[in-house]
Amino acid sequence: MLVWILFLLCQVGAPALAQDLCQRDAPNGYKVRISLKTALGEDAYEWNQSEMFFFQATMAFAMRRHFQMETYNVDNIILCVQTSRVSFWFVVTSPDNTTMLIPKADVEKAVRMSRHRINNAFLLSDRTLEFLGIYPTLAAPVNPDTPPWLIVFGVVIGAVCVGIIALLISSLLQKRRKEKGMTEDGQDEEDMQVKGVENGINLDGTYNRGFTDDDRFTKL
Amino acid sequence: MCAQDATMGKDAARAEWDNPMQFVLACVSYAVGLGNVWRFPYLCQMHGGGGFLIPYMLMLVLLGVPLFYMELAIGQKMRLGSIGAWRAISPYLGGVGMASVVTSMYLCLYYNVINAWSFWYLFHSFQSILPWAECPVNSNLTGPVEECERATPTQYFFYRETLDISGSIEENGGIHMGQALCLLLAWIIVYLFIIKGVKSTGKVVYFTATFPYLVLIIYLIRGVTLHGSINGVKYMFTPKMEQLAKPTTWINAATQIFFSLGLGFGSLIAFASYNQYNNNFEKQAIIVSMVNSGTSIFASIVTFSIYGFKATFNYESCLERVRLLLLNTFDLAEDTISLENVNHWIAELNRTHPEQFASLGGRLETCDLEAELDTAVEGTGLAFIVYSEAIKNMPVSQLWSVLYFIMLLLLGMGSMLGNVIAVITPLSDLKFISHYMSTKTLNGLVCLFCLLLGLGFTTRSGNYWFTMFNDYGATFSLLFIVLIEVITVCYIYGIKRFEKDVEDMLGHRLNCYWKIMLAGVSPILLIALFIFYIVNYIQGGTPTYQAWNKELGKSVVTEYPPYAQAFIGLLLASSVCCIPLTALYTYCKKRNLASGKRERTVSTVSA
Repeated sequence: MLVWILFLLCQVGAPALAQDLCQRDAPNGYKVRISLKTALGEDAYEWNQSEMFFFQATMAFAMRRHFQMETYNVDNIILCVQTSRVSFWFVVTSPDNTTMLIPKADVEKAVRMSRHRINNAFLLSDRTLEFLGIYPTLAAPVNPDTPPWLIVFGVVIGAVCVGIIALLISSLLQKRRKEKGMTEDGQDEEDMQVKGVENGINLDGTYNRGFTDDDRFTKL
Repeated sequence: MCAQDATMGKDAARAEWDNPMQFVLACVSYAVGLGNVWRFPYLCQMHGGGGFLIPYMLMLVLLGVPLFYMELAIGQKMRLGSIGAWRAISPYLGGVGMASVVTSMYLCLYYNVINAWSFWYLFHSFQSILPWAECPVNSNLTGPVEECERATPTQYFFYRETLDISGSIEENGGIHMGQALCLLLAWIIVYLFIIKGVKSTGKVVYFTATFPYLVLIIYLIRGVTLHGSINGVKYMFTPKMEQLAKPTTWINAATQIFFSLGLGFGSLIAFASYNQYNNNFEKQAIIVSMVNSGTSIFASIVTFSIYGFKATFNYESCLERVRLLLLNTFDLAEDTISLENVNHWIAELNRTHPEQFASLGGRLETCDLEAELDTAVEGTGLAFIVYSEAIKNMPVSQLWSVLYFIMLLLLGMGSMLGNVIAVITPLSDLKFISHYMSTKTLNGLVCLFCLLLGLGFTTRSGNYWFTMFNDYGATFSLLFIVLIEVITVCYIYGIKRFEKDVEDMLGHRLNCYWKIMLAGVSPILLIALFIFYIVNYIQGGTPTYQAWNKELGKSVVTEYPPYAQAFIGLLLASSVCCIPLTALYTYCKKRNLASGKRERTVSTVSA
């Protein structure tokens, strides 16, 4: 009889005890916030008790993986303070002693280790499945050996230098050809004297100053 | 007479544009520059939107077009760069040309740094994620770099990664290698464009003058199809007529026309000096001025549609953050609050849960679309920070980024061509220089010289020196130069002789519009502007600049140290004092010459 009463008390007491362990702002608990609609939009699934069970299972898996102990079970993950936001608090009890909580730091390590797996289980990301207080480890920046901008720079400056050298060489060649007396129409050389060219005959003329404006210059 | 002829150079040997179209495109390429994109939209916003067009157009007609016409006439008639041309007009005022060359030199030094920045941004656009889209991670991989957190990623990229800016103008650091390389590239490209004088420049301007318009049209189409762009365009064009009553509006309109057309630098004289003697520059002056103003208005439509997009994006992001904050604090289901009813819910929650609401405290932001649109920015801040912020939020942002910076580059390069030619043409006209070296060598030396001095702007405090040059290097001196120009042409040279010259070139006389404007209205407006500048400068107290504070993550107003203020004075004085100094020098030379001749004549008579 007594044993039966004790047994009844345990059945009632255990969840009550669990409730004491898990509460808002529990010292060893974490608040989880899930944003399904932000992450999945139209494809968002409904958050119900089965999903909560799934979460417990995932957390138990994370604890097993971190501590390398096969003893963690869904009962060790206690959830409470569920809201329609979809946020809740959870605490992790030790498998050997259900009244003892696993310290916060250990839970954090376990979560960090399996964060990627936990996110993928729910089709969410670091931003939409938040463990308040556990900051996601950001991806290390990829540092290529040659910065990409330098490559583009090299291409452009190479092309420009080639252009300049080509222009310089072409004008040098033209000057050489002209010196050999082979040009007849040197329109693209800026140093050439523009003499009257009519019908291909060079008319040697000089500028006659007799017809310049005399009062072109301001008198002093 | 003969000595003067020798300094003028031979008319017959001068290079020429292949056709008048090249000349027009060169002027368009020069006048349509970065100022059309980043200064005019700002002014439009500051001075009452659509209403600003009234003083702007008025000043164009009263001030811009006549002065532009005058400079083209001088260049085409004298067929020399600014030094030779002004010396020919009046030997005492040859200093005007020299002052133009000095001012153009200052402009050359710092203007190409903008092109270097454009190159830097352009090359960095070829990445899958634009580097200014996100903050880089800090060394222990826990979060973004602090400076970036306090500021925005675009500001961080500009101030830290592009400039590596120091805290004040006194802290000089080393040269930023990336910037130096980009500056080198910019100068090499300028050299490539001017290597053969107007023959090469004439071909380049076909591209630099027309391609920016193509990009602007593409951006216009992209801009007006962006979400929220209509807010920006509406905001800009809503005229606020009360702004017209303020004198600053009119003064800014005049200054904008003045600087936008690039008067007083000597570039227009240089360009026109390569014209055929009978080229119809009257029609061309009107065309180029109209195209320049039209481009400003067109560019501001594009700018404001982008502004509208950015403001709407920021506003909606703000609403989203507030929505999340409310959802998380009050643990409501995700779909209860949407972006539309955020404000309704704020009032509701304040009423139903006052203590919990009060605990939100300062974290609750007020989201205001008007305030976002009001953040008017001009200058490099607009081009490199605001625009890149808008671009990173567009789909396929790499493409838009590349297009935008290519456009900035072309605008900047086009203006650089004018600046460099303004320096090179008068130098190559000087007999002793053209005797010793060919044009190619002269061009190369000028580019090299400007590059080496320009490296100073790539140091860590370089941006502060850049701002100093930008604000003081060319503004005041130009007003003075153009004022002296107009007075010289109309009163010392004589409006009658000018009329005869124009008739000689064009075949018809100056009509009354040009005469009234040049001889009357423009000088009066210029004097008024000049006085206003002096008064403003004196009243402004100690000159200040915006220094980037890395702890706060924003710019703070700092006073210039004494040596920097002295340098500002030097900048202003060095170009302006060319004019009186040359006049004095010429006067003394003539007096010595005259007294020398008199002595000889006296001795012959007495003997």
